[in-house]
Amino acid sequence: MLQDAAGAANARAASKMDETAVIRAVQGGDQDAFERLVRAYDQSVLRLAINLLRSPEDARDVYQEAFLRVYRNIHTFRFDCSFHTWLYRIVTNICLDHLRKRKVRREEAAVIDTADGPVDRMDSFEEEGPDADPERQMWNNQLSGRIQAALAGLTPRERMVFELRHYQGMRLRAIGDVLGTSEEAAKNCLFRATQKMRTVLGDLI
Amino acid sequence: MTCDEVTRAIPLYHYGELASEVEEGVEDHVESCASCRAELAYQKALAAALDRHDLAPPPELLTECRHELVRAVYREETPAARRNASDPWGLFRDAFRSLWHPGIRFGQPIGAMALVALGFFAARFTGSFPGATLGGLAPDAIVSSIRSVQPDNTGRVQISLDETRRRVVSGRLEDQDIRRLLLAAAREQDNPGVRVESVQLLTDQSSSAETRSVLLEAVMRDPNPGVRLKALQGLKSFSTDPEVHRTLTQVLLKDQNAGVRMQVIDLLIAHQDAATAGVLQALIGKEDNSYVRMRCQNALRDMNASVGTF
Repeated sequence: MLQDAAGAANARAASKMDETAVIRAVQGGDQDAFERLVRAYDQSVLRLAINLLRSPEDARDVYQEAFLRVYRNIHTFRFDCSFHTWLYRIVTNICLDHLRKRKVRREEAAVIDTADGPVDRMDSFEEEGPDADPERQMWNNQLSGRIQAALAGLTPRERMVFELRHYQGMRLRAIGDVLGTSEEAAKNCLFRATQKMRTVLGDLI
Repeated sequence: MTCDEVTRAIPLYHYGELASEVEEGVEDHVESCASCRAELAYQKALAAALDRHDLAPPPELLTECRHELVRAVYREETPAARRNASDPWGLFRDAFRSLWHPGIRFGQPIGAMALVALGFFAARFTGSFPGATLGGLAPDAIVSSIRSVQPDNTGRVQISLDETRRRVVSGRLEDQDIRRLLLAAAREQDNPGVRVESVQLLTDQSSSAETRSVLLEAVMRDPNPGVRLKALQGLKSFSTDPEVHRTLTQVLLKDQNAGVRMQVIDLLIAHQDAATAGVLQALIGKEDNSYVRMRCQNALRDMNASVGTF
């Protein structure tokens, strides 16, 4: 057990050293290294954007803008924090801008009305399972709609903290670092977000 | 700890964000308090429901984003560099000068840098090669992989690559060539989006035996239920055709998707006969979906057939 833990710690240290070397190579103009850096993080960045914004178009914009900013500004990265924190600061700022803009022009719902009734644009992302049961699917749709409403009721910051903690598994301390706030403030945000969701989802769970 | 304190601590307890002494306090309290235990169970159920709401970005979107990033990085170059296409290496030299900020080290030999650029733009991201006129590479070429790179001592390099070219063709649905392409697209293994669009377009042409055969194959074998449902729509007017009828019967008894089975029932009962009643009776015996079972029972009642087999 102890050996496993030591092995994991060594692997983390080795991967951190490896990442430092990659970042230095990118700063030295190595395009191959830039590609490696993008590939190490781009899936989780896209996942964060798509879950937060629930729009493939917006998620695509966030992806482009974030990695272009990394590309243009990597020479300013001084290893004062982890690259993950630095990248996520960029990504969360862009996402928060999107969420705030959306609040101004009212929530752009993922669910749109069509001639065949309301359709969630994100449904096309989830391949229907072979054992899909209409009854369960109906319940899932109802739950999905309610979760959507619950998430829409959160402030952009609450939504961000919840997303980073629940879906991305980040610790509240790291979330505080990314969002430029304290761990305590992130904790309060998470608590408020959870309470709001419990209120909206109430009887359905 | 009081119930009120524990209730407030439960979300953070769930996420493992409490100090260890507070965590122990919650655990001790929950062990002896049914109401707080229920609160904790609710928190777990809430988290599980939210987990199911998590969206994984589809691989196509990730690929598109990567391609767009390559193009966006390329666009960062100056227009002057883009015009400098007569010198193939100049394209990359100038692109690189503008891509990187002046403070960044730029000491590598130009040839080596150009090679890296080529690798980045053309091979690793497998994106389209943006507007290049390099060494006879077609402007609309898609480089799928670089096989070998051999520099020589004059500063030139020989690159062996696999090149495919994207073409756009357009025409009316009745055009022979367009139809041929649609029939091929309906079997395109790697892209369910292409298959669903093609099958949708082919549904209006199911009077052709060739089209019908592709639709039947899709209904029987396509792994995507969306494609199978579209193909069923195309077969709607042919449910009495013996081959179509036989295929629909097989699909009804073996398809794993309840939505597909429901649609097949609708097609089969449009022409009621004893054979259809027999199939529905056989299905009821093994069907575990309550909606499909109910649909079968109603259909059998409409056909004045018994719901069970005797």
